[in-house]
Amino acid sequence: MIDPVTSDSPGVTVLLMGNEAIVRGALEAGIKIAASYPGTPASEIGNTLAEIAKEMGIHFEWSTNEKVAFEVAYGASMCNQRGLVSMKHVGLNVALDIMEMAALRGVKGGLVFVSADDPSQHSSGQEQDQRWLAKQNCVPALEPSDPQDAKDFTVYAYELSEKYKLPVMLRMVTRVSHMRSNVKLGKLQKLNREAKFDFDQFSYVVAGFNKLFYGREKEANEKIAKIKEEFDTSPLNTLTMTGREKVGVIATGQTYNYVMDTLIKLGAKEKVAVLKLGTSNPLPEGLISKLLKGVDKVLITEEPDPFVELHVKALAKDANPGVKLYGRINGKLPGEGELMPVIVDEVIAEMLGEKLPPTQRGELENEAKDMIFGRMLTVCAGCPHRPSIYALKRAVKAVKGDIHKVVINGDIGCYGLAWAPPMSYEDTYFCMGASLGVSQGMSQVGVDSIAWIGDGTFFHAAIPALMNAVQTKTNIKIVVADNSITAMTGFQPNPQSGKTAMGEPTKSISIEAIAKAVGVDHVEITDPYDIKATEAAFKRMLQTDGVVMVVSRRICATEAIRQMRPNRPVQYEVDESKCVGCKLCLSTFGCPGLNFNEEKKKASIDPTICMGCGVCAQVCNLGCIHRRDS
Amino acid sequence: METTRIVIAGVGGQGTLLATRLIAETAIKLRLHVRIGETYGMAQRGGPVMGHIQIGEAYSPQIRPGEADALLGFELAEATRRGVTYLRRGGLAIVNSKKIPPVEVIIGMRKYPSEKDLLKLLNQISNKIAVFDATGLAEKAGDPIATNIVMLGALVASNVLPFGENEIIAVMKDSIPDRFLDLNTRALKFGADAFKKLRPIT
Repeated sequence: MIDPVTSDSPGVTVLLMGNEAIVRGALEAGIKIAASYPGTPASEIGNTLAEIAKEMGIHFEWSTNEKVAFEVAYGASMCNQRGLVSMKHVGLNVALDIMEMAALRGVKGGLVFVSADDPSQHSSGQEQDQRWLAKQNCVPALEPSDPQDAKDFTVYAYELSEKYKLPVMLRMVTRVSHMRSNVKLGKLQKLNREAKFDFDQFSYVVAGFNKLFYGREKEANEKIAKIKEEFDTSPLNTLTMTGREKVGVIATGQTYNYVMDTLIKLGAKEKVAVLKLGTSNPLPEGLISKLLKGVDKVLITEEPDPFVELHVKALAKDANPGVKLYGRINGKLPGEGELMPVIVDEVIAEMLGEKLPPTQRGELENEAKDMIFGRMLTVCAGCPHRPSIYALKRAVKAVKGDIHKVVINGDIGCYGLAWAPPMSYEDTYFCMGASLGVSQGMSQVGVDSIAWIGDGTFFHAAIPALMNAVQTKTNIKIVVADNSITAMTGFQPNPQSGKTAMGEPTKSISIEAIAKAVGVDHVEITDPYDIKATEAAFKRMLQTDGVVMVVSRRICATEAIRQMRPNRPVQYEVDESKCVGCKLCLSTFGCPGLNFNEEKKKASIDPTICMGCGVCAQVCNLGCIHRRDS
Repeated sequence: METTRIVIAGVGGQGTLLATRLIAETAIKLRLHVRIGETYGMAQRGGPVMGHIQIGEAYSPQIRPGEADALLGFELAEATRRGVTYLRRGGLAIVNSKKIPPVEVIIGMRKYPSEKDLLKLLNQISNKIAVFDATGLAEKAGDPIATNIVMLGALVASNVLPFGENEIIAVMKDSIPDRFLDLNTRALKFGADAFKKLRPIT
């Protein structure tokens, strides 16, 4: 079968995920470089690039963080090469400093960055709508509705970027990133441009400090004004209107799908004028005004904020003050979160004066909810974080007497699931690297805490905070839950993995060497699969003053098993003659591989799940659990 | 052509994604339009996953509640949870009887509901329910990991899809490595046979 991302077969229709379609689009635009930091829902963009970069003759890297990723692509852009940057929405917060500068100073080679937003927080701590940042920084923002759009918009984004010398935001949402659908391929392109720094455009020495430093906002505003005109006639925005409709919809990005499904369901395609909006910044004001003038009521659909709606309200004042606007501001749509097909059905039916038959199954769904557990998240069977959390909780209890004498400041990654039962041992959880910073504030006012951070997150954002603790002589305790990979987003390598995104061997950067170099007072390494030793290390940490770090290191179990394929680990089993059915292993450790046989009243281990870590055998104090080969 | 809508429900690690992709690849090969939406959020191993497949005219990647023609449930409780919401009245539910208890059950906070109670709920939506031990059949075929292909076999045998076994097998040959092909064609056949034997009222 052909590889749908790299195949040079224009005109052929293939199945692509939205994120893969972006990569395909970038290849059709002839990119030379791509950089990313993993984060759902953006991760598959990088995963795809990692697989194909070598074959396609481009550089791809998983950068240390999003800011570095953006800078890497911007550096190449100043030398006239096209580049792609991708990240989840909150990653753009990290990259914002350089994004803003790239917008003001301009780009040379096309620079496209993906902000994969997550309305309804499927896998994020918040649902920040990054279109505001596009607006704030005079950056054009394109919003594809499906994988075909994602590919086509990406190709166009490079043209736009070079024409106006601006970085362009490709604003995705989870539903488009993870949607798979038919995509008709275009032609692959290799640009073979000479890599040459443009001194006239970017050098203070050549171009002049004053010219590069001042007056750039005015220039950015002028560019956006021109793009606004271009967007009025752009194929990214299509207005379907006969002039006989009374109702109109401005359907932004992926919400276009909901609107079309609703119109099919209601048989109302003829009755509703639809503006499929692919450019949310700047808005095609001419097209929008035309729609506003032609109908009595207009619905604005978008996710998650009323970003377009707010601007449409302003436009309506001049275009048609009498038009009635429906959306999130007037409360006809919810004020936050994703839209759903049924929500759009209801509001469009109301606008058309129709009533939908009730389809609710509320009672039955409630019955199901009462009967069926929610299926809480937990770390995998064999996960090294589980024994780390277990040992940490025991150590704190032993040294402090009460677990609430210490605040556990968690961080972003699998180990963030420390709050999940049965350990339920984590108090706060904010953004990349925050655990080290907030712990210092707590320490300064006399509250004990532990920063609980993973290896990838440590490299991404914690090192400045670590140096801060040393310099300010702040007593903090740090546990690095080190599973030697960026596991949560799909096992991407990080700076200590010893390999690049493209699979080349490279130097492995040591967390403890960094800690020692910046002056951490006490560093030790422990293996979480040895619960006693790990608990002892945590106790020493709690009893030592200064900046103190324990690295609890064991490779991610899922990754370990991937590496040992086709071999399988030796699993563990319960000796039923010894098990008294006390459930200690289940209720305190709670590995998903453990089960309780209600008939026999004995614990058991599911051989389809057990990873062979053997930690449950240390938790059982009657010695009932042993290796299958022992 | 009528649009075919299928909801796939299971837990992380069960290979729902491969089943979804095989259906989609086959549809594309036959020049049909396909839309797939997947919800896996923070699903590690063991988290709930759900896939929506639509073949034919469809825009949204999400099927509306109550509009799925078929439910392919890889795990008993997940099948019931999603079936109650998404399956249309009289739609077909193909359910693996395998139970994968979540952490709430493991640590004793909740009980895993009985198969009888779960199916009673599903029955209020439709009486076309085919329940069988797909994971057991996959083990018999050679590896429990092939549960997804057993389930796919049952779906293909149900004639809900606008194509049949031969078309799926052709795509499997294209996309599954040779050394796993025997296992998977066996699994597909076991699933199809199991469905034909059960043949829920249609």
